[in-house]
Amino acid sequence: MSFDTKDSGMTRRSFLRTSAALSAGVAAIAAGLAPLRKLGQYSSVDEFLQKYYKELTPEEMKAVLARIEDEVQRQYGIRPHVRDYKPMNGVEFVYALNLTRCVGCRKCVHACVAENNQSRNPEIQYIRVLKMPNDGTFDVDKGDHNYAPKSVPEAGSFYMPVQCHQCKNPPCVRVCPVKATWQEADGITVIDYNWCIGCRYCEAACPYYARRFNFTNPSIPPDQLNLNMSYLGNRPRRKGVMEKCHFCTQRTRAGRYPACVEVCPTGSRKFGNILDPDSEVSYILKNKRVYVLKAELGTLPRFFYYFDI
Amino acid sequence: MRSYLKFLRRCAGVSLAGDWRYYAWIGTLALLCVVGLNAYAKQFAAGLEITGMSDQVSWGVYIANFTFLVGMAAAAVMLVIPVYIYKNEDLHDLVIFGELLAVAAILMCLAFVTVDLGRPDRFWHLIPVIGVFHFPGSMLSWDVLVLNGYLVLNVYICGYLLFCRYQNRKPSKWFYIPFVFTAIFWAISIHTVTAFLYVGLGGRPFWNSSIVGPRFLASAFTAGPAFVILALQVVRRASASAPGQPGGPNEREAAPPRRLMHRPATSADLDLLAAYLPELGSVSQEERRACLAGAIILDVAAGDVLLRQGSKDTDAFFVLKGRVIVRREESGRFRITRNIGPGEQFGEVSALAGTPRTATATAAEPSQVLCLPQESLRSLMRNPKMNEIITWRMGERLMISDRSLLILRAIVQVSMIINVFLLANEIFTEFYNSNLHDISWRYLVLGLHGHHALVPWFWTAVTLNIGAMVILMLPLSRRLKWLNVACVMCIFGIWIEKGMGLVIPGFIPTPLGEMVEYVPTLNETLVCVGIWAFGLLCFTIFLRMSVPILQGELSRANET
Repeated sequence: MSFDTKDSGMTRRSFLRTSAALSAGVAAIAAGLAPLRKLGQYSSVDEFLQKYYKELTPEEMKAVLARIEDEVQRQYGIRPHVRDYKPMNGVEFVYALNLTRCVGCRKCVHACVAENNQSRNPEIQYIRVLKMPNDGTFDVDKGDHNYAPKSVPEAGSFYMPVQCHQCKNPPCVRVCPVKATWQEADGITVIDYNWCIGCRYCEAACPYYARRFNFTNPSIPPDQLNLNMSYLGNRPRRKGVMEKCHFCTQRTRAGRYPACVEVCPTGSRKFGNILDPDSEVSYILKNKRVYVLKAELGTLPRFFYYFDI
Repeated sequence: MRSYLKFLRRCAGVSLAGDWRYYAWIGTLALLCVVGLNAYAKQFAAGLEITGMSDQVSWGVYIANFTFLVGMAAAAVMLVIPVYIYKNEDLHDLVIFGELLAVAAILMCLAFVTVDLGRPDRFWHLIPVIGVFHFPGSMLSWDVLVLNGYLVLNVYICGYLLFCRYQNRKPSKWFYIPFVFTAIFWAISIHTVTAFLYVGLGGRPFWNSSIVGPRFLASAFTAGPAFVILALQVVRRASASAPGQPGGPNEREAAPPRRLMHRPATSADLDLLAAYLPELGSVSQEERRACLAGAIILDVAAGDVLLRQGSKDTDAFFVLKGRVIVRREESGRFRITRNIGPGEQFGEVSALAGTPRTATATAAEPSQVLCLPQESLRSLMRNPKMNEIITWRMGERLMISDRSLLILRAIVQVSMIINVFLLANEIFTEFYNSNLHDISWRYLVLGLHGHHALVPWFWTAVTLNIGAMVILMLPLSRRLKWLNVACVMCIFGIWIEKGMGLVIPGFIPTPLGEMVEYVPTLNETLVCVGIWAFGLLCFTIFLRMSVPILQGELSRANET
């Protein structure tokens, strides 16, 4: 191989050669980028420049909420009501689930999807129900995720629904490199969908398989859209960000039960304020036999399983 | 500043010059880059849906390659440590290739992380001050810091050393030694931090094991030097002239220097040399006179041989005008080791050590050369400044000797033994006491509940690694052919072990016991191919620029 060490002035020939190579390169790159034409609405300038949730002033938040309402209206043709629900003072939410009563009907799964504007295709679900064999084990490895009998419950099984455990020591919050997910004063771990970069580290960190990623643009039929929306909760998400159960902030922070609690036909699901000694959940924790999933990990879930006996 | 810009411009120029093989190689890589770019554009438009990843297996080949390449980058220290701590002379010149590999590897790492992001447009959220940087809480924020820091360190060290060589001046220790030592610790840290990304996740027992960090380092120090061994041989081959042609067509029969046209050297000749070699100014008149005794000036034509490899003469030479090429014969091939211009020396090794000539020096153009007998060179070197500059230049040679490759072989050998040993430790711990913790291991090694996707990968990696270890421990791997086979096995074995064998099984089964397997899609694979091509293209261009600088072909002396 010979080295050309004489870099004297450009000759006409080398100029032509260089410009031919350059234009071929530019053309190749342009052709390579052609699929971007199918991108559609990706991000507006305002959305791109939007500040972190905790740094937004009340006025800026107002503008952001109005912009999100515009975006939803443009996409779905209906104007929603988007609010930034704040935690209530003196409230720490806790969930209790009665494993004796649950029949595995998955009504909670679907009520959750409808309430929280999850993508229908592909369908994103926050609640996963495991059918467990009645053979002396709580090992999730024995669980059946895809049971589909004609009717439930099936003999010889019990059912264990799992969703975000709203841990007191949440591994997902610890690993997020941009603090796009955090724990609020009422114990709910939320996500700023406009701040998440989509690295999915939280999804790897979660021991309860509670987090979901938008692998593509969510699709929801406009007539199925829940118009009561919260910023940190059920407003429609975009492609490329995480989402998860947020105890229905748009309901619970306005004094209502989460959708899954309301829909449960067996009354297996209990929800309330643990700081209130007279609440149902306080009673259950004091009087029932209670356990948490994967206690050895030290995540301190606010989601408790209990038994009637 | 101006000279630095000129340096960059000439480096850019040389990166575009080469023979047809070079053009074919970089053309292919550039084409693959565009293919990868196209695949990424598709992914950007459609979302990560068109990868094989899912909520269950939320990281795939992107993060697997990222993990492997952080190791390749960290492995540069395996060349730095022997040279800067143990003062190994054989590897001295080769350190810079390790550092350039580190730069290329980090660039690939950054690309792999970027293509894995769901929202690459929000990359700025990760930038400290402008965004919200979760430091020191998130290990990923540590990774962002250490990777970018390592990139800056290596770009600086390589740039500084190459620029000094280009200017033919000695690098100032203060400007690079502190950075070299920082880079040693930094390299260990980048890979440890990357291991902690996984180790820190308590909910994933497969990763949550303190041996993962040491395993990462051991496997990195295997695959990295193995890659360097192969790359160095490519460099050696590419910078060699064709076999069987020692000096080109116009070489004349060797004649002892004193038979060539010559005249006694005068003080004026030393003045001419001093113009290129300012250190000569500090030599006293008396020392100059002593040096001139017996010194001659040779006026040679292109093709004249000044000294021949293996001969036992002991004169030392300085080029006054023109250009001299030094070629070295190694296993039947001749390669250019140096390209010497005015002010530079050659032949001093034999003059000082009395050993036979290590290479053949031929005039490349009509040249004027100062020829000093052994004693004259010694008297010149009694001057401390001359002693320093001549000794330093002796060290600054691009020599990719078989010896240096064998030193790297020793490093690969020991690292692979440690790597296999650590793997065996982990296998024992997981399988002797069968418990719930080992479920991902069971899936990886034996398959679980009828799912076996990773089993062939695992056993391929184990076969390659153990095979490479055996070859490396046998004396036959002192032969380059077998060493290369072992190196290729190491690289592929470790790539599988850290990619398909470490990142993917951590997700299978999910923490709720669900079995969802992962297979990369074609589009995802093309993105990976594109990034690899990009990295190899960068590394090729870095080598294309640095080799002529190290050989002296590209230097300030021959600026036009």
